[in-house]
Amino acid sequence: MATPAHSLGYAGCNFLRQRLVLSTLSGRPVKIRKIRARDDSPGLRDFEASFIRLLDKITNGSRIEINQTGTTLYYQPGLLYGGTVEHDCSVLRSIGYYLEGLLCLAPFMKHPLKIVLRGVTNDQVDPSVDVLKATALPLLKQFGIDGESFELKIVRRGMPPGGGGEVIFSCPVRKVLKPVQLTDPGKIKRIRGMAYSVRVSPQMANRIVESARSILNKFIPDIYIYTDHMKGLNSGKSPGFGLSLVAETTNGTFLSAELASNPQGQGAAVLPEDLGRNCAQLLLEEIYRGGCVDSTNQSLALLLMTLGQQDVSKVLLGPLSPYTIEFLRHLKSFFQIMFKIETKPCGEELKGGDKVLMTCVGIGFSNLSKTLK
Amino acid sequence: SSEEDSVVEGGRSILESKTVGEGSKEGLSAANHQNDNLNLGKKAAITTSDSGHCTAEEALASEDESEESSSFSSDDEDAESTEIGREKLVKPSHMGSVQELGSENLIDETSDIEDLLKEEEEYKEENNCSTETSGALKWKEDLSRKAAEAFLRQQQATPNLRKLVYGTVTENSEE
Repeated sequence: MATPAHSLGYAGCNFLRQRLVLSTLSGRPVKIRKIRARDDSPGLRDFEASFIRLLDKITNGSRIEINQTGTTLYYQPGLLYGGTVEHDCSVLRSIGYYLEGLLCLAPFMKHPLKIVLRGVTNDQVDPSVDVLKATALPLLKQFGIDGESFELKIVRRGMPPGGGGEVIFSCPVRKVLKPVQLTDPGKIKRIRGMAYSVRVSPQMANRIVESARSILNKFIPDIYIYTDHMKGLNSGKSPGFGLSLVAETTNGTFLSAELASNPQGQGAAVLPEDLGRNCAQLLLEEIYRGGCVDSTNQSLALLLMTLGQQDVSKVLLGPLSPYTIEFLRHLKSFFQIMFKIETKPCGEELKGGDKVLMTCVGIGFSNLSKTLK
Repeated sequence: SSEEDSVVEGGRSILESKTVGEGSKEGLSAANHQNDNLNLGKKAAITTSDSGHCTAEEALASEDESEESSSFSSDDEDAESTEIGREKLVKPSHMGSVQELGSENLIDETSDIEDLLKEEEEYKEENNCSTETSGALKWKEDLSRKAAEAFLRQQQATPNLRKLVYGTVTENSEE
């Protein structure tokens, strides 16, 4: 990774996180110009600056250059170091924003990563910590990243705009990843959920559960939605409530959906009944899209396939999200890898929307930073 | 009269659909069509209710009477003579309404049922044979060309995702 490779150049603020993560993994420097150059407040936002600081914390020897206005960023990645880290995330984005990046990087550290992240645990933009815990962790396990120390724990909940949540994420390191063959999603066998409420009546969570069940009960009997009402210091700084639902299939695929209430002082008040019902419908839509990987984790799965051993990996996905499509292009420019993309129209057997079968041969990426014991 | 004939036809087709096969689409659609054509909504209602309640045996039993009555041309005489046959055919619950409305149609109906049924069956069989054979022939005509066409159609219909994803990359040129 330390060998200087010629850098990649990009323009614009889109997909900044993707580019930085892939740059770190591939060891290729990136130069990103024109970051919100025409905006009223040009340059990097607080949450992006915070992500770059986080990258600086978990790596050793990274070089980061940002110009005066923050519109140009040069990033030369160092070695992924890991260890015990603490980070205060920006409250503009939720911890999920940072965690998504960390999930890509954590298995390739020199030392196992144990990180405390503080900020917003659930918001309306990024995947919440609950959803990542329920979907991304089982996905990583499929690639052979497992162990006792592999956990994601919500210590405190924090809702926007105040934040005040806290999350502990620890991940073991692996030298190589297993190739995967995920082509049969199976059938939905159970639905689990988490209805949370902070700094509002604990009854809110119960109302959410009731309305969500009113829709889901028609389809499957095995539904359990936990209610989580945190109090005092553990409830963060702002009031709010929300619901995350996860459907598990017989073959160990997790499909998720979530909704959160509007942040305090922004937008109209949301009824918990509406929220529960809408979230249940979102889950049904996600199940319709289907595939072996949840649409929020498509890019993570593709990355781990790319970084696997030199063997064929296959994964069946639902319709590709725009984020995933851009991620595929980035994978091509950073790792020179192109996926075989086959559309699988839904036949009589396979219900739901059209599926996409992604096939690739791993580049044989091995974690050079990991010390041999 | 033409009105009577049309009613009879409607009743016949419904009965036919009952006896030959409940779900035979042709019979039902024909019945609907003819009922639509009728301006006499009430009469149509009677015939349907009758055919619904009287079974084939009953219809056959009343055949003698109906044949006799069909020879008569005047409606008034008919009404009296058919009184008995109608009571046989119609369930007590429907008696009232039937008595009020024209009862003369019932007899003509039942008399013609059998003949018309036979005709209909024969016609159907012929129809089936012709469609089956022609369909089979068409299906077997140059299969390889059809397969090739289907393949090309499929190729064009499904978007080439690989091209969509990788083909449109413009900004990712390496420096």
